[in-house]
Formats: sequence, structure tokens, C-alpha cells
Amino acid sequence: MFGEIVKGLYTTLKHLFQPPVTVQYPEIKRPVRNRFKGRHELKRYENGLEKCIGCALCAAACPADAIFVEASENSDEKRFSPGERYASTYEINMMRCIFCGYCEDACPTQAIVLEKSYELSFYDRASAIYTKEMLIVDVPVNGRSTPQVVEPGIFNRAIPEMEDPK
Amino acid sequence: MHTNEHTQKAETFIVPIGPQHPALREPGHFEFTIEGEIVTAASVRLGYAHRGIEKGTESRNWVQNLYMLERICGICSHIHATAYCLGVEQLAGVEAPPRAQAIREMVAELERTHSHLLWLGEAAHEAGFETLFMYAWRDRETVMDILEALTGNRVNYSANLLGGVKYDVTGEQASKIEQGLDYLEERTRHYLDVVTSDPVFIQRTRGIGVMTAVQADRLGVVGPTARASGVVRDVRVEAPYAAYTAFPITPVLAQAGDLEARFVVRLRELFESYGVIRRILANLPPGELVLKRMPRRIKAGEAISRVEAPRGELFYFIRSNGSDTPDRVKVRTPTLCNMASVLTLTVGRHLADVPMILVGIDPCFSCNDRGLVLKRGADHEHWTWDRLRQIGLDYYAGERGSGGVGGTSISPAPLPPCPPALLTGMHV
Ligand code: SF4
Ligand code: SF4
Repeated sequence: MFGEIVKGLYTTLKHLFQPPVTVQYPEIKRPVRNRFKGRHELKRYENGLEKCIGCALCAAACPADAIFVEASENSDEKRFSPGERYASTYEINMMRCIFCGYCEDACPTQAIVLEKSYELSFYDRASAIYTKEMLIVDVPVNGRSTPQVVEPGIFNRAIPEMEDPK
Repeated sequence: MHTNEHTQKAETFIVPIGPQHPALREPGHFEFTIEGEIVTAASVRLGYAHRGIEKGTESRNWVQNLYMLERICGICSHIHATAYCLGVEQLAGVEAPPRAQAIREMVAELERTHSHLLWLGEAAHEAGFETLFMYAWRDRETVMDILEALTGNRVNYSANLLGGVKYDVTGEQASKIEQGLDYLEERTRHYLDVVTSDPVFIQRTRGIGVMTAVQADRLGVVGPTARASGVVRDVRVEAPYAAYTAFPITPVLAQAGDLEARFVVRLRELFESYGVIRRILANLPPGELVLKRMPRRIKAGEAISRVEAPRGELFYFIRSNGSDTPDRVKVRTPTLCNMASVLTLTVGRHLADVPMILVGIDPCFSCNDRGLVLKRGADHEHWTWDRLRQIGLDYYAGERGSGGVGGTSISPAPLPPCPPALLTGMHV
């Protein structure tokens, strides 16, 4: 019995000299993997137009009923996204969301993408609702911010040619 | 003093454990009748974490349910989704492509790895062996990382789709998985050595909670708990699903039936899992990940789907009436089958062995809390959904009124007489 206890303590002692595996969060952040499903982002095209066309398919798909979308009409003088409509209100309740990624699958324009951010904590329930302003990505370098004034007849097609998701 | 001790010995105590108790990670209520230190009777009451998921499935469409049912259990989530997918595919008369089936099996085995390592840590913690707890959980991170790289989530992977899987395995990931498995294999060998040779630990496990094969059969236990008593009960072997025909496993058995045997069975099962994951990675069938067409409405009919979760047989009954939502989904999780064995095995043992015997079945309380039969007094009565709903509405209307939330203008509605009766008659 004594010998066994010494053997056990020896194992512990060996581990004492190994580097610790604890990640000192929040000072050190563990990188997430490529396929990680974190906080959503609403994407833009290179020219700055929003990908979201306000179709609310994501809201219909969401198993947790976390998304609220309200669409308004686009015009060539005030264009937010290609096609007829854009999302004037887009809200995700992060307290309801279960990060399943079904909204991503449902979106016809790949506008909503679950990205890498995972630091979602709030002091009150109201701030768990992420608005469109919080979700949408910055305007790309060569793009213009929305609403844009565009030539008529270019952006009639709401849904672009699709490519396979990576 | 002397007489006092004497009277205490003859006295019978009931020790209630739970619903909230430091030894339980989830709510469950046990009552152990003890004489001195020896348990003479045991009873359990479940249902504290009833979440109404089965009813919830009826108001969501087939795909949404996939995500919800996956969340029945945080540890064995993938296997729930797999059971559901297999059932729905059976109803729709389709079958997922071979590559998808193989990936399903692989994720299921990775999940088994993480579940068994988690259990090893937890069981060691119950035995007071904190070092093993920490080491096992540290090593479990390896498989959690693999799962995150593969599916994007550490738990609730959402790897399944109706008619296939969402994620492919890239060559780079395959080599990462191989590396992780090498490390885990070495560590598992070490743990197997520890649990079978450490004399202090063996004192807590050897010869404790012995369940014979006959008892195991009679109690209807499933999974590793049954296999540790020498009963071959493994859905992967009895009724292969997903890719288990192409990539079979050998059931791991032990004869002793005590706690030590349960440790040995679970740890040796890990080697089976590592082996089968390696074989799948080496021979992953080529082809599509998802079916070209999966119907949105599922043909009317009934399907039963059985799979082997880390804790034992998981059972799904699915009924469709031809619409885009299920008519009924019934889930029976392995913990419910194994719970009876805890009550039988603790009788005659010391109270101090109870936590170990309980953890020996790898209990998962929230998963098994689902069915609900209501009775009031002696009069057994099954209530209709409409009546239950009305009672619920009345109850909350009454509460809002008397609680004064928001305003005083709502007059308190008379409380229906049922809620206390609801609680006393709760059965799972
Ligand atoms: S990730 Fe899932 S739960 Fe969250 S918003 Fe998207 S669909 Fe809804
Ligand atoms: S995010 Fe996609 S699915 Fe949702 S409203 Fe916008 S375009 Fe439609």
C-alpha cells in the first residue's frame, strides 16, 4: 500500500513540472477553430451594399425564434441592398439563440454568418438584443456606406449566383 | 451514553438527497432509509428538470426539431440528433449517403470518447480521487478540440442534417484527429492501469454495487452498465445503424458486475472507439454528404429508431401525419432504464457507497425527465392537453394578479385546486 501511494504521488510530482494547461482567460484568449459558430455578423458586398434582403427566411427557420426581421423597400436613390427590399430592422436575441447555425443555412444570400466572437454577456435582458447596427460588418475599403445612390437597373437581382459554402 | 448509542442503532432514519445537493450535478430526489450506516430501502423521484421538449417538437418543423432534440443532452447530443435523423429518414423512405453515415458514426464515437472521459473524471471525483478527475478532464480537452475543429461546436455539434451531415472531414483534420487519438490512447492505457491497480481507489470500487447478469437482465439495464455485468446489450452490434455494418465494433464485456468492472468496460470501450475512428478515417467512403432531395413534409407513418448512446440504448418513436411537423416524438434515454439498478444495488450497502453506485450508471437526470402522468389522490386520471393548458393559463393569471407584477388592476383569479396535486402525482 505504501509503495502504491508513493507511486501515485510520483505521478503528481511529475505533473508539477509540466507547463500548466489552464488558459488565463480573459488575459489570454484561446483561438477558436475555423468552423466555430459564434456571434452572427451581417455581411456586405465589396461595393458596400448589404447582402441581407430582408426576406426573413432566417427568422422562419430559427428553431429558437431568436430573429426578428422587418423589411422596407429599396429604391435606386436610397439603396441598402440589391433587389427590391432590405432589412430595415434586424434583431437577434442572443439570450434565445442556441448557435445552431440554421439561419446561416436558410439565408439565400449568405448574408448572415456565425463568426468567431463568443464574448456575449449582458447586465440586463434588453442589451441581449443585438440590433442591425451591432451585427453588420464595417464597410469594405473600396465600398461606400449604405444607403447608396446608384444607377438605375444595375442591382435588380436580389439573390446573386451562389457558390458552395466553404 | 451507552443506552443512547443503543437506541440510535435500532432507529431508522430517512436520508433525503436532493433535489438540490452538492453530490448531484442535476436535480433528482432520492430517499435512503438507513439503519446505522446501512441502507435498507431506497426510492427516487425524478422530473425536476422536465422541459416539455417532446411537446415542443409538435410545434416545430422537422428540421427545427433536429436542433432542439440535439439539446436534450449536453453530453450525448449528437446521438440524439442521429436517432432522430435515422427515424425521420426511415419515415421518408430515404437513406443518407454512405459518406454521411460514416461521418455520423465517427462523430458518435468521438462523442462517446468525450462522454466516457468526462464520466471517468466525475466518478473519480465522487471517489475522492481529485487528481484523476483533473487529469481525465484535461485529456478530454483533446477530443473537445477535435470536435470543435470538425463541427464548430464543443457541445451540441449540429453535425447532422436530415438526409446527411453538414461537415466533411478534410485531410488536415484527419491527421489532427489521428494525433489526438494517439495521445488519448496512451492516456487511456494509463488510466486503465490506475483504476485496476491503485489500491486506494480499488477499495472504493472492487466488489461494490455488484449486479449479476441475471439481475441486470431483470432490471433491464442498458449500455456499459449492462455490459459490465456480462450482458451483451449493444445496439451497435444487435441492430447496426448508420455505418456500423461497414465499420463494426466488438462489444466490450466484463463479468464481475461491480463498480470496477464498469470502469474497465468504459475505458476499454474507448480503445474500440479509437480503433473504429481510425478505420473510418482511413476508409472514408467517397461521395455526397447530403441527399439531393429531402422532403419537407414527411409521409404519414410511425418509425422506431434505436441507437447506442454513451450510456446505453437510446430509443426514439416518431409519428408523422404527413405534415411538416411531427405528430408525436417519444424519447427514452438510457438513464431511465438504469435508474432502477441504483435503487436495488444501494440496499444493503453503506450510505458512503451510494454516490459511487449512483455515478456508476453515469446518470444524466435532465435527459430522462420527460413523460408526465398526473393523478390526483387515488383517482388516476389522464388529463387532456386542452385541460392542462387551461389550468396553466388560469394558474399564471392568478399568480400575476396576486403577485402584483405590473399593476394592481388585475383581480386575482381563483387558483385552480390542482397545482399541489400536480406535484405529488408526478411520475416519469
Ligand atoms: S444560430 Fe440558430 S438559434 Fe441562433 S439565430 Fe441562427 S437559427 Fe436562430
Ligand atoms: S439574413 Fe438572409 S435569410 Fe435573413 S432576412 Fe436577411 S437575407 Fe433573408
